[in-house]
Amino acid sequence: MNLSRYAVQAAWRRAQSDRWSRRDFLKTASGATLAALAAGAPRGLVAAAAPAKLMATADRVIVLWMAGGMAHTETFDPKRYTPYSAGLDPNTVLSTFPAIPTVLDGVRFSEGLEQLAQVMDRGTLIRTMQAADLGFILHSRHQFNWHTGYVPPQTVAAPHLGAWIARTLGPLDPAVPAFINIGQRFDLGEGEELKAFTSAGFLGSEYGPFNVAFPEQAADAVRPPAGMSIDRFADRNRAYRKLLDASPIGRDGSGYQKDSLLRAMDNAHRLLSSPAAKAFDLALEPLDRVRKYFPGYEPGMRFDTPRDRFGARYEEGMVGRFGLGCLLARRLCEVGARFIEVTTEYIPFLNWDTHENGHARLVGMKRMIDAPIAQLVRDLEERGMLDRTLIVLASEFSRDMMVEGKPEKGVKNQVQVPDVISDPKFYGMHRHFTAAGSVLMFGGGVKRGHVHGVTADERPCRTIKDPVTIPDLHATIYHTLGIPPNHGYEVEKRPFYVTLDGKGNAVRPVLA
Amino acid sequence: MIRWLALVGVTLAFGIKPVQAALSPDQLALLPPAATRPVDFARDIQPLFEASCVQCHARGKSKGGFSLETREDFLSGGDTGPSTVPGRSATSLIIESISGLNADLVMPKKGKKLTGDQIAVFRAWIDQGMPWPEKITFQKHEPANLRARELETISVRPEFPNPVDGMVDAVFTRAGFAWPHPVDDRTYARRVWLDVVGVLPPPEELAAFRLDSAPDKRARLVRRLLADNQRYAEHWLTFWSDMLRNDYKGTGYIDGGRKPITAWLYRALARNLPYNRFVAELINPGVEAEGFTKGIVWRGAVNASMVPPMQAAQGVAQVFLGVNLKCTSCHDSFINEYTLKDAYGLAGVYADGPLEIAECDRPTGRVGKVKFLYEELGVIDPAADARTRKARLAAIITARSNGRLTRTIVNRLWQRFMGYGLVEPVDEMDKPAWSPELMDWLAEDLAAHGYDLKQTMARILTSRAYQLPAVNVREGEENYVFRGPAVRRLSAEQFSDAVMALTRSTHARANAKANRNAALSGAVAAVAVPPPRWIWSTPGAEVRAEAGSVVFRRTLVLPAKPTDAVLTLAADDSYAVVINGKNAATSGRRNSTMMESFEVKALLKEGENTIVVTVTNLAREEAPVGLVDNSGAEAGTPAGLILYARVRADERVMDFVSDSAWTFASGKESRAAIELGEAELAPWRLGPAFLELALAPKDTLPVERASLVAADPLMVALGRPNREQVVTVRLGAANTLQALELTNGVTLAAWLTQGAGKIVAASPADPGALVDSLYLQAIGRKPNAAERGVALQSLGSPATTEGVADLLWAILMLPEFQLIF
Repeated sequence: MNLSRYAVQAAWRRAQSDRWSRRDFLKTASGATLAALAAGAPRGLVAAAAPAKLMATADRVIVLWMAGGMAHTETFDPKRYTPYSAGLDPNTVLSTFPAIPTVLDGVRFSEGLEQLAQVMDRGTLIRTMQAADLGFILHSRHQFNWHTGYVPPQTVAAPHLGAWIARTLGPLDPAVPAFINIGQRFDLGEGEELKAFTSAGFLGSEYGPFNVAFPEQAADAVRPPAGMSIDRFADRNRAYRKLLDASPIGRDGSGYQKDSLLRAMDNAHRLLSSPAAKAFDLALEPLDRVRKYFPGYEPGMRFDTPRDRFGARYEEGMVGRFGLGCLLARRLCEVGARFIEVTTEYIPFLNWDTHENGHARLVGMKRMIDAPIAQLVRDLEERGMLDRTLIVLASEFSRDMMVEGKPEKGVKNQVQVPDVISDPKFYGMHRHFTAAGSVLMFGGGVKRGHVHGVTADERPCRTIKDPVTIPDLHATIYHTLGIPPNHGYEVEKRPFYVTLDGKGNAVRPVLA
Repeated sequence: MIRWLALVGVTLAFGIKPVQAALSPDQLALLPPAATRPVDFARDIQPLFEASCVQCHARGKSKGGFSLETREDFLSGGDTGPSTVPGRSATSLIIESISGLNADLVMPKKGKKLTGDQIAVFRAWIDQGMPWPEKITFQKHEPANLRARELETISVRPEFPNPVDGMVDAVFTRAGFAWPHPVDDRTYARRVWLDVVGVLPPPEELAAFRLDSAPDKRARLVRRLLADNQRYAEHWLTFWSDMLRNDYKGTGYIDGGRKPITAWLYRALARNLPYNRFVAELINPGVEAEGFTKGIVWRGAVNASMVPPMQAAQGVAQVFLGVNLKCTSCHDSFINEYTLKDAYGLAGVYADGPLEIAECDRPTGRVGKVKFLYEELGVIDPAADARTRKARLAAIITARSNGRLTRTIVNRLWQRFMGYGLVEPVDEMDKPAWSPELMDWLAEDLAAHGYDLKQTMARILTSRAYQLPAVNVREGEENYVFRGPAVRRLSAEQFSDAVMALTRSTHARANAKANRNAALSGAVAAVAVPPPRWIWSTPGAEVRAEAGSVVFRRTLVLPAKPTDAVLTLAADDSYAVVINGKNAATSGRRNSTMMESFEVKALLKEGENTIVVTVTNLAREEAPVGLVDNSGAEAGTPAGLILYARVRADERVMDFVSDSAWTFASGKESRAAIELGEAELAPWRLGPAFLELALAPKDTLPVERASLVAADPLMVALGRPNREQVVTVRLGAANTLQALELTNGVTLAAWLTQGAGKIVAASPADPGALVDSLYLQAIGRKPNAAERGVALQSLGSPATTEGVADLLWAILMLPEFQLIF
């Protein structure tokens, strides 16, 4: 590792944290606090203006998004295993895979997660995430809720977790976008709904996501446009600068709009020409290391050809994209990324969204996530970065074979379950379950080798001890970054908080 | 003795028992004793109320049922009982609560706690009989900027040909500011082209304008641009779509939980519908414009503050009245005087039945009373049916006496053109304008001219104030003084449109569903046949019909194979058309009565043709939550089909319409369709628009404008909102992600590469002439020598495609291009 770069980063961090405490205090104090004191706004905002001194235990966050609903009983919270046989009563099936041991005594995962089982001594597993009750289930609504803390639609555009963090802490390195989103396309089903929360919302597009749908092509995102050589790109930029200088309004004189334009162009150019941009280029990673994330990797592979979307090589493409996404996340962390999300990609009825063939599909899904996430943990540890990097693996809700939503809520079923399982396509967790869900965390100030919360061993396999709500989960993530749960900003004179109404509480037992 | 009599009087008058406070003798001993000096209400008590009580217990708010707007309100107390009895402060509930001695009842909850001295004075006031001059109350203030003014009461200075300038002059005089010289023709033309029609002035028009020596040429340019109905509509479509949450893709469409209003909006803009009618048609809409008040519904449960009627209330209040009811949809506002009851009162207009008030999503058990925000402007009968309520609301809001409607829109226009509103933020119209005279005059002038927005635009755009040099204004500037229009930035659409024009490109197709020919012409040619009727299988279907499908049939006999045939129809809820056994047209499952036209020439033949239209009426519960019709039908929902087929065959025009000549199958029999009424029949109220669409030529106009297509990544980066929320002002400052998109995003790169090829193919051999023409087109002037040198070098000689693309990019990045000076 380059020491001087770390020194630069440390200085930048200090500047950022100063910026946050001072500038945001002034911002909230001048407008919001005075208004709040005068008008009696909710207490949270006043506290947000003078945040409790929180010590950050993490500098950056990687969210690993299991899009589509990851069944806890098939992954990190296995229950009684019932192998497939024709004629099964679905009521008797809780897990369709056997459980395997992890390095932690008494903690078992589902088969297919052997490598993650080996790094569980570095992790904290929350088994009792409570997805919101939003009535008739729509994935993108729950994903919106998980990522913003709020229920759509909202009267103001709610910001994504990554945007909150980008706005509050700024980039770790000014040449790297503060909020990077890897692996999601937006031109597929529910794309508009995904866009609605993959956004900085009212915070303004400055804090929005830098989207990289295909990690193997990430370098294109920081390169000249397709077909333009580096030299031509440089010439073009030189011509722009010369025209700017020659223009009668030129670079001289100040102006709010003009300054912001010129500053933005300078920033963009700095990113495109900075050494940090190399982090986007996976071709610069040693091949054997790349293959630890995706064993099938061949240099020059691309996963965006139309036939790979849903064709024969679909699964291999998805496995590759997620694995390389994890690798890209690691590389970006090394150059100063602040918030990165890597998704398995939400596509209705694909990936974790198993409305049928759940068992067979989960074999592939676990293959997709097991090796790269374990490798990400090991790589960050090897580089001495795991302690300051919070990794959060989560999904919008879990799944069950029989129960839709929460058992007592009577949510309308979206998947018909036959009385008798006569075909493997019915063997799997196909309904949307919200009464428990697993969240796996590593590094960044959470405990090592810890399990939080207990779920029932018989159906419904719901939370029976230590539920963790989404506001509380958010508060925990923000806590590791030193951001209080009632930190907020004003929009249309209304205070809007990082956790729902400022009321999240960090889950202390999971913090180291 | 006098005090005692007063107590008896009050007790008798209000029939209440003396309050028994719950303080123990020990606690009572801790109470500050009453002050001994005489208490004056205005001097001693009113300030305490203002500081500690009124924000929850006055000005329309009555937390815990307690209000102190008047002495009577104060005495009658709240949910926990009467507040006090004059003369008996020690045992009064009010003193108990403000003393803080009873931990369960500590007041004030939000305002400033009272000191011991203040409590002593408060006690003295009660013990002295609660003197309270009748003229002092704490009732709601009448909101500012509410009532219309007589135009004659606004003094206009005759020495200024445009009254706007007289009022601005007064502001300048107060500020000690002299009028600068107006901007030159080039700057003015660029500004006014972008502001009226959204595009850059074409070089030849710019040249002609500069050569024109007529003194009124600027006014004539404004008039000419305002008269360009198509460009005007395609520019202002963006402004209104942002506000009315109208878009072609977006949240909610997945479940039929949203409806575009583009066809209606395009027509309204193209024909410059008077603003009062424009607003009335949105508040009390037919099916074409109902998307705005139907709101956006994602699947599943929503917070009580976002149920569709509440969305309607928020939208109507914000867009037309400049009032933010968003906070108020959850709780009494902390930032203004609007209350939860106000929000529910307005939402109730759009609700199917009584709305239970929820406070911060917790049901309160209270039912909202339907009412308008400003009852001084008009009252809505809560017992009226939904249609009547909406019609009444539209009438109140668009009444001449409502000065808020006109002030809100003239302020929005001023903000658009000048970069900073007369009132800022533009959605806080309760605040005073920096020149109330100017805002009031513009508002009254608008009303006096038949609510013609173009007339108001011309007033502003021809003013000297608008012609001043641009000044630097920060977003959210707090110490603003008008000195001229602010430097503004091209909107995402203006940028995109400019790139289209510069690269001689057009969009492949429009996402906007609107036949622009129909909207722009507005003329309906003479029709040889009786007008089309809404038809169904049962009478009264416009009110309710059973759920299910009805199959309508008609035979057409044609003398020859047609040379042209267009079928226009709308149906509630969805349709499938089969002609001679082949599929001709289908709607979405929840078409929600969109009018559409289809070409069907290929399916028709000489002789007998059979048209079969299957229309499905959805049951109420099948409709997405919140998108049910509000007509109050218990079982069944409105159902109907209206159709117009224009066929040209054998050089004749033959029209076929939906009427009783159509049949439907009923068991084994075939029966004549029942005619419900003409196109204007409620609830659909398609009006003349239906025939206009049916008879309009197909829309083959080139799609040049970004407002007609869905947002692309470039437009998103440049600030086009996703329109899930009402957006009245976009953020203007640039940021890094935008610059990245401009620098290496695929959208712009592709336009530039394709466009450069066309430019090279069509351009003069002389690279210098090409540079001149690009500069003229993009910036409105020729390059200076230094610029020309750089440009020529970039272009290559002869000009290459790459050179043109790169030069164009460099020009597009210049502040002189991206900003409006």
